[in-house]
Amino acid sequence: MKNYSQRSGEIGDFSDIPFWKKADAADLVYVSYGLLIVTLVVVSYLLGAFHLLPHDPHDIRLDLMMSPPGTAGHLLGTDFMGRDIFSRLIVGIQAYFLPGLLAVAISLIGGSTLGVLAGYRGGMADTAITYFTNLVDSFPRLVLILLVVAAFKPDIYYIMIVVGLTNVPVVASLVKGKILFLKQKNFVEAAVSLGLPARTIILKHILWYNCRSLLIIQATLGMGEAILMETSLSYLGFGVQEPSPSWGNMVQAGANYFMQGKFWPSTAPALAILFTIMGFHLLGDGLNNLLEGKRGR
Amino acid sequence: MKNAPLLKIEDLRTYFYSRSKQAFIRSVDGVNLEIRRGETLGVVGESGSGKSITALSVLGLISGGPGVIAGKILFGSNGEQKDLLDGLEGYVKIGREQNRIMQVSKDVLGWERRSDEVMRTIRGGEIAMIFQNPKASLNPFTPVGKQITEAIRLHTKITDAQEAAERAIYWLKRVKIDSPALRFDNYPFGLSGGMCQRAMIAMALACEPALLIADEPTTGLDATIQSKIVDLLAELKSELGTTTMLISHDISVISRLSDSVVVMYGGTVVEYGPVRDILTASISSKHPYTSALLASIPGEEHVRDKVALQAIEGDVLDTINIPAGCRFYARCNRVTPKIRENCERREPDLREIAPGHRARCWLYFD
Amino acid sequence: MRLSGLRPIALVLTREVMITVLLLLGVSFVVFVILYLAPGDPFSMLVEGQVQSEEARAGAREALGFSQSWYSQYFSWVTQMLQGDFGTSIRTGLPVASELVFVGFNTLILTIGSMLVTLLIAVPIALYSSVRGTTALSWPLTMFAYVVSALPVFWLGYIVIYIFMHRFGLFPLMTSSSRGFSWLYALLPIVVLGVGNGTISEVIRSLRDEMGRVMSEDYIRTARAKGASVWKHSFKEGFLIPVTEIIAAKIPFILGGAVIVEQVFNWPGMGRMAWQAAQDRDFPVIMGIAMLAAVFVRMGSMFQRVVYVMVNPRASKE
Repeated sequence: MKNYSQRSGEIGDFSDIPFWKKADAADLVYVSYGLLIVTLVVVSYLLGAFHLLPHDPHDIRLDLMMSPPGTAGHLLGTDFMGRDIFSRLIVGIQAYFLPGLLAVAISLIGGSTLGVLAGYRGGMADTAITYFTNLVDSFPRLVLILLVVAAFKPDIYYIMIVVGLTNVPVVASLVKGKILFLKQKNFVEAAVSLGLPARTIILKHILWYNCRSLLIIQATLGMGEAILMETSLSYLGFGVQEPSPSWGNMVQAGANYFMQGKFWPSTAPALAILFTIMGFHLLGDGLNNLLEGKRGR
Repeated sequence: MKNAPLLKIEDLRTYFYSRSKQAFIRSVDGVNLEIRRGETLGVVGESGSGKSITALSVLGLISGGPGVIAGKILFGSNGEQKDLLDGLEGYVKIGREQNRIMQVSKDVLGWERRSDEVMRTIRGGEIAMIFQNPKASLNPFTPVGKQITEAIRLHTKITDAQEAAERAIYWLKRVKIDSPALRFDNYPFGLSGGMCQRAMIAMALACEPALLIADEPTTGLDATIQSKIVDLLAELKSELGTTTMLISHDISVISRLSDSVVVMYGGTVVEYGPVRDILTASISSKHPYTSALLASIPGEEHVRDKVALQAIEGDVLDTINIPAGCRFYARCNRVTPKIRENCERREPDLREIAPGHRARCWLYFD
Repeated sequence: MRLSGLRPIALVLTREVMITVLLLLGVSFVVFVILYLAPGDPFSMLVEGQVQSEEARAGAREALGFSQSWYSQYFSWVTQMLQGDFGTSIRTGLPVASELVFVGFNTLILTIGSMLVTLLIAVPIALYSSVRGTTALSWPLTMFAYVVSALPVFWLGYIVIYIFMHRFGLFPLMTSSSRGFSWLYALLPIVVLGVGNGTISEVIRSLRDEMGRVMSEDYIRTARAKGASVWKHSFKEGFLIPVTEIIAAKIPFILGGAVIVEQVFNWPGMGRMAWQAAQDRDFPVIMGIAMLAAVFVRMGSMFQRVVYVMVNPRASKE
């Protein structure tokens, strides 16, 4: 059974309905959860940066090796060297936070530049971008990164530049689509005929007014992608190296103990990855539905 | 029951729910009409007046959860009359306030299952429908002939593929498609809009339906092709005598093909009667909306004397906020001081103003 | 299928092959540039401490082709590849090409298998939610899709290995050296990659939206109006085309996930080999794998185009 009911009023002004009543309840839950995760990540990042931690993440306590969660003030237990897993989880955010932001910044800046070129100018730029997109799509991202790793043995920031670059085509095609849509509505023509300089039209009227929400959504999804990449690479042993903690290398370090039935050293960071990436996905999708009105029902 | 109408619609209400506005869009809001056997009923009105939704409601093609249909649609092709909305009340609870639906709770799945059950032999078999935009209405992935064959095998005694194909080709010939055997294998994208509409007509008629609903059959076609389609429909009408509900916003199409006319405005019938009473401009006793509609089509004298056409002032009715009084009041130019209060406050009934001719207007109340 | 129906397919195949050649050239160039720019050629790492005299070094470099100008190096690499010669692995000294055939086959099995698993999960959910709309089940189904898409695939692998291998001893552990192929053993990584490749929620969403869009097309309304099966009429545009599109679009992601899953399960495929080669800076191997991966991706896209042209009569006119 589904219920639909009419507001009792007969007046044609619906602007008094607040947006959360018009929105799908699910989207609000998504966005709230996503925002909660983002807040947690930022706060934990700051805590880690200022060393406001319950324990020193590098403090080796051989007497406390592999203590299960809850032992002696170790909320999530300790790892194979007796280090506090909870503190290492918090510090692990350092591994992807700034690199992830770098990847997002590159994909947004590169993507909107190429998108504007393709949508606004068209012609050659468009063809070149289509080719570039297909080229990037032909590489499995992780294989490309392994190639870069083999060539340069780079640190995580350089890897994230590559991740950002591979996201450029996605953003570019979305921005291009938006511009083509605006062109179809004669929006751009109107702006040009008003005598606005191209710079104002592109930066203010196209990117700021019309692509803002799209870019926010892509930033959110891009951050999720970056976290996935960082953890995967650290898991494979190419990203952040021991003894510096990263969620990926923590899962890897706990692997052997996992098979012995001592789950917590791997599971704690794995769940952290799960809930964090899910938060970014939900935030992106929820915002997409709310801001871009993708959900018809 | 020989004289019973083939289709009788009683107080049909088809509402959609707008989540963002938290209100019902009352696309069809209390329609009454009937189609007698053998006649062609023209339904005319502006876009958004509820013509097409009425037709789609008859076939139960209102899709999606929020669509709600109430009222009665009585259809009797072989002796007995059957309510096409029969049994659907069980799946929906309607809360009314002052004759208006204010609250609906609906078991969408049960509703659809029940509707499909009731309509199984009716859709395509006893009632066939042709749509506007014939190119989009034919399946672009299937050859035209195959689509007609499918309809034939579903609804007639012919089940043999070869025989059905021959029958399809016969119907393609009948709707005057040249080299029908070749067109049989064509995909819709290879045919012109006019040819697609002919194929649609062939597909609809191939099952020999008791009622044909033509929803804006000429809309979306070039002007020259439009008149050819109208010629074809007129010819088929005289040859086959199929009972037809013809929906169009084009008064010339309606006046050429119809026996009776229904004029719709804002989801209701405002005028109903024989075609000559309603669509003859010189007869003045008619609903002000119909008069305005007729004045807005260019006639000979407009072209000759370069007289300006009269557009109908104002906008089409907002079907969410339907006013308490006459729906046409805000745009009406024939309100007299005597009836003004009534027009503003109370909705008039559909009342007989001449034999067989009814109108919904306070002008004709004494 | 009649002969006339084959012509558009031949046409689209030619076109796709041309695009693929162009893209593979681009891919090979990118691969080459990255490795060319790499500091310290792999050769010097390999022979470090073994070859003493500068002259002997230069001779060995010459033999391996590291001293030519960049374009002749690129050109000779591409021509060698075209002859099926992908060079020899710096680590093992074995020809890369034969190695690629072996790991390529293993990864192909893993990729196709897990694609099927993904579709097996995603298609019913997408169908259900596009037909039924929002129901009591949609919320748990959506949450399931989100959780599964964010699940770190390596951890999922651990759980599965723990439960099935250590706990129940159901599936034998395979060592990386064994060359045999066991279907039973293949099952676990296939399922893990199929569930955990991170694309399920996207696949569900795009299939559901596409099916929903097609369901509201005019011609589906016609099908309903004539009492015909809506499924039959919506199958091609609402199911076949979007599913093949999704398959083609998600192959790169699955290949990426394969790197991790192969690592977790010790699966002797391209991903594991790429990982090993990245560790060893084994350039010929990683170049070969990048090219092979690109070939896989392009094959998926060709498959999608062919299905599209076969299904859609309009496509051959475009």
